[in-house]
Amino acid sequence: MSQEGVESQATTILESVIVYKLCCGGRGLPARGLALAAMPPTKAIGHLDADCFYVSAERVRDGFLKGKPVGVLGNQGACVIAKSYEMKAAGVKTGEPIWEAIQKCPDGIYVKRDFRWYEVLSQRLLDAMHHFSPEVEYYSIDEFFFRAVPLPGRTLQQTAEAMRDHLLHTVGVPVTVGIGRSKTLAKLISDTAKPFGALALLEREDERRLLRRMPVTEISGIAARRAATLAAYGIRTCLELADAQRSLVTQVITATGEAIWWELNGEPITPLHTQRPPHKMLSRGGSIGKATADRQRVWGFVVRNLERLIEGLEFHRVWAGALTLLLQYDDGLESGVQEELLTPTMRFDLLLDALKRGFERVWLPGLRVSRMHLIASQLRRPGFVQRGLFEPPEEPARRLAQLKREINEQLGRFALRSGATLTLNDIYRDQEQGYDICDIRGKICF
Amino acid sequence: MFAGVALAFSQIPTYLIERHGLNRRIYHRGGEDEIQFLLGDRERVLPVWFEGQLQILPWGLPRSYRSTLPSTAWTWRSTVEEGGWNALEPQLVCIPARMGLDRGVWFRIREGVRGLVVHDESGQPVVYVLVEPATHYYRIMTRSDWMPCLVGEAI
Repeated sequence: MSQEGVESQATTILESVIVYKLCCGGRGLPARGLALAAMPPTKAIGHLDADCFYVSAERVRDGFLKGKPVGVLGNQGACVIAKSYEMKAAGVKTGEPIWEAIQKCPDGIYVKRDFRWYEVLSQRLLDAMHHFSPEVEYYSIDEFFFRAVPLPGRTLQQTAEAMRDHLLHTVGVPVTVGIGRSKTLAKLISDTAKPFGALALLEREDERRLLRRMPVTEISGIAARRAATLAAYGIRTCLELADAQRSLVTQVITATGEAIWWELNGEPITPLHTQRPPHKMLSRGGSIGKATADRQRVWGFVVRNLERLIEGLEFHRVWAGALTLLLQYDDGLESGVQEELLTPTMRFDLLLDALKRGFERVWLPGLRVSRMHLIASQLRRPGFVQRGLFEPPEEPARRLAQLKREINEQLGRFALRSGATLTLNDIYRDQEQGYDICDIRGKICF
Repeated sequence: MFAGVALAFSQIPTYLIERHGLNRRIYHRGGEDEIQFLLGDRERVLPVWFEGQLQILPWGLPRSYRSTLPSTAWTWRSTVEEGGWNALEPQLVCIPARMGLDRGVWFRIREGVRGLVVHDESGQPVVYVLVEPATHYYRIMTRSDWMPCLVGEAI
């Protein structure tokens, strides 16, 4: 469909939504909620998947990239973490090193990832989806599940098409929409309709035709090992899994398999999560770039990740009861330690003290650190915390944290940061290093 | 080795395309056409914002060329900052670019790269690309130890 056609249709759909809102009257309610409240209930579930999202996001702000083979590179500039369909056609695979990618696709254009921008667009997609559905699950940065509600006077197929066109028109990102009787079916449907597709399949015969040609590995939760186990029982396609005896599936791939079995047979087992369930743990970390044996630099990364972790604790309003520090060395060695805190906290000084103790125990002089993880666990809400007798005074630390937060909100993230991170000025100078995929909040799937 | 830039076809005025015969530099890799300016071109030139307008200027001097100007295509930013070019009254300029090429890797450039313009004996302005030690990211991406100075971005 041409861009003009898409825009025209999207405009029509928007008008349809607006007219519907006006017809329903009801002053005082938010227009969006009003329209959706009047829509008929449905059991159908939708799955929306942005097409090559990182590349599409880059194209939103740089139209020159449209139609060209584009690869988005990861943190270190070494691997392709996302690619356009043009680059895929040249044989480049996700995760492939750039040096292999340029052999397959010499015309490829390589772009540094910018997760902050991708989150902005992800939130815009989420906002736009709420115009179509009262229940939306923010599954991942580029995937959403939703209660599929037909627009007034439209079928679910037409609604899926309208949603797809509206999101392209308003957000600029091409997406594929699949609608089915369960989350698993909806995801399989959208997978087959990519790219820029829209497909609603609600009849069992249509589902069976789809499942017949899909291997079980297309299902989330079934990877090579489970597929091999199922294959021993003659189950290779999704349809064979759906038609298998439920008790056998449960026996072979446990309760997860049973849930999938129900979902493949059109019985929704997995609920829509419109709010993220509370965290059991929060973590920050990853690669530190060039591996180093420089103690000060590694400690700088530890403190940097602590500051990022505290941002997460503050956002989710939880205190950490324990901190785990894991260091990975480039020769494959790992060392880790868990430090229990006297009382749960999100205070920088107390968490830093715990980390200092832990760092002494995991630091292996002479070995080069390549990755690290900092994990806060035993999370508690502040109101449900037993205070300790020997904690340093709370008020100065609270006021300092508040001041730091306010300065960084006004001047930019990390404008005010710990002096221990001065060894990482090269990292802080690069804005795009400051925001990583794990800083994106609200999604269900990592 | 930084080996060239590409601009979107629409970024270059038609009169410049005609005057400098840039049509032969047009390249199509999908989407909008681009115009490439490569180190290996027979006529080595770059687009430069100079004296208030976009101009096409010679990119450095080839080794065979007899001149008091350095026979190179690049110069270290530190050399410029230390005054190494002062005697030639250099002017810092922007070389607009949408992509750069280094060791076979085309990478996206948001605005352009920094350059320096000096005049040769005949008064012809010549542009050199400013370079600096490569960041970790750039070194991994291109395997080059140095990189062009980019305008308004760090990669």
